Amino acid sequence: MKKYAGLVPLISLLAAFLIVPLIFMLLSSFQSDQTGTWTMTNYTEFFSNSYYYQAFFNSLLITMVSCILGLTGAMVLCICLLQLSEKTQEKITFVSNLAANFAGIPLAFSFIILLGNAGVMKLVMPSLQAFDLYSWWGLGLTYVYFQIPLGVLFLYPSMRELKKEWAEVSATLGTTAFYYWRKVALPFLRPSLITTFIILFANGMGTYETAYALTGSNVNLLTVRIASLVSGDVFAKPNMGSALAVLFGLMMITLMSIVGRKEKK
Amino acid sequence: MKKFLVTLTLSLFAIYYLSPLLATFFYASSTSWEKSIFPDDFTLQWFVQLLSDGAFLGAVGRSLLLATLMTVIVFIVLVPTMIWIHLYFPRWDQALQKIVLLPYAIPGVILVTALLRTYSKSNIPMFFVLLGALFISMLPIVYLGISNQMKLVNMKELVEAAETLGVPMFPIIRSVLIPNLKVGTTLVSLMVFSSVFGEYMLTNLLIGGRFETLRIYMLRRMNENGHVASAVMILYFLFLLVTAFSIFYFNKKQTKKIVVRAKMEEPIYEKLLNHS
Repeated sequence: MKKYAGLVPLISLLAAFLIVPLIFMLLSSFQSDQTGTWTMTNYTEFFSNSYYYQAFFNSLLITMVSCILGLTGAMVLCICLLQLSEKTQEKITFVSNLAANFAGIPLAFSFIILLGNAGVMKLVMPSLQAFDLYSWWGLGLTYVYFQIPLGVLFLYPSMRELKKEWAEVSATLGTTAFYYWRKVALPFLRPSLITTFIILFANGMGTYETAYALTGSNVNLLTVRIASLVSGDVFAKPNMGSALAVLFGLMMITLMSIVGRKEKK
Repeated sequence: MKKFLVTLTLSLFAIYYLSPLLATFFYASSTSWEKSIFPDDFTLQWFVQLLSDGAFLGAVGRSLLLATLMTVIVFIVLVPTMIWIHLYFPRWDQALQKIVLLPYAIPGVILVTALLRTYSKSNIPMFFVLLGALFISMLPIVYLGISNQMKLVNMKELVEAAETLGVPMFPIIRSVLIPNLKVGTTLVSLMVFSSVFGEYMLTNLLIGGRFETLRIYMLRRMNENGHVASAVMILYFLFLLVTAFSIFYFNKKQTKKIVVRAKMEEPIYEKLLNHS
């Protein structure tokens, strides 16, 4: 019995700040914001009010685009890296890790200086005048900026396992580089590509700070929408926010567990 | 041809990654930059102005306070508990790992929603709720980092060997566990410290303007004076750089120490702070 005493602090913190709040959130998602009575309206509202499901689709869209570009970019970068010497590889991955941590407000701000309304790049290249950083394109550009290094972080270790001999053997046997990638390299990398994709996906869906710093509440994204529903002073609808958060959470957990099971196989 | 392609691609990446940083740096060090490709002059006035701004120093102080508090709390609560779990409840490790990794799967905004629903109308000060939230969000890094370190040094065997030799528990902890877990825990505390130091979403949504931390200050300044804001970003970047170098250094030390197992998979999460 005494042995269990050692677990009390951790378990109670987990209960107080994770488990119980999640249960409260689930309960309140079935309550009306106006009257407080039990209801399903928050969920039906999600499917009927375009404002909410649009937020969901917008998040999904920007995430998918940034994931695909991020993963491709990460792969290209890794392939280039592997052509260099050990020392240079180490240096570049160091910089890449640093860039992965530069997300959020600093990143949004740097891009505003570079490409915002009075951005430096716009001075240099007047043809960029038409580029609107505070739009989907701008969001995409900043998302990809932090997705690539994150992808490298998870992809690089397994790309290093690709043996040079495999490529040489396939070349000796007279296959094309394309065939080598399709039949040897990609199947080998598939598990880590899938894991990396999921991590990028979760990261993209959860992004709040960068998007908020860049566009405020103007762009209708799921995270921004939930945040303004639960913390906004004027338009606060915490129960509706809870319902969105529940749906969001369910989606993420389902996704993670599907991948987790695949990995075990 | 191949070499050329590699260099070209890497240069493109370098432009993409360095130009925002360079622009911020030049913006922070010039009085104005409006007319030409190059900044009009070089000055340190924004840095001077920043360092004499009470609000900035206050924000740094509050972020330091949060970061220090969290590092201490995490270690007082987690390290002993984890040693405990690994020694006495190894089976629980699997189950706990699932719960502890939950914050990786569910985005921070969901945690904020849940906490606000539960505590915003209660008597519990939101500052404590924030500490709780930060604790939960740090769990994955800490739990994975430390349990990886425990496996690396073979903690269970070490303790069993010492116990067989008749050493009491306290000396085991002092002269076996602590020296062996030192590098790993230093790494993890660095990560916790720098993540909390640069935290934005939880702090802003749970307490907001009443407790202006570094990132909240950044966002406010961003809309007031671009040059001063750039100066903040540059200082913050230097902080990140120092942290990254120290993490790199301790990582090297860790892999060097454990030569035989060095080939084990690299602890990726130890390089990962999430701020997006």
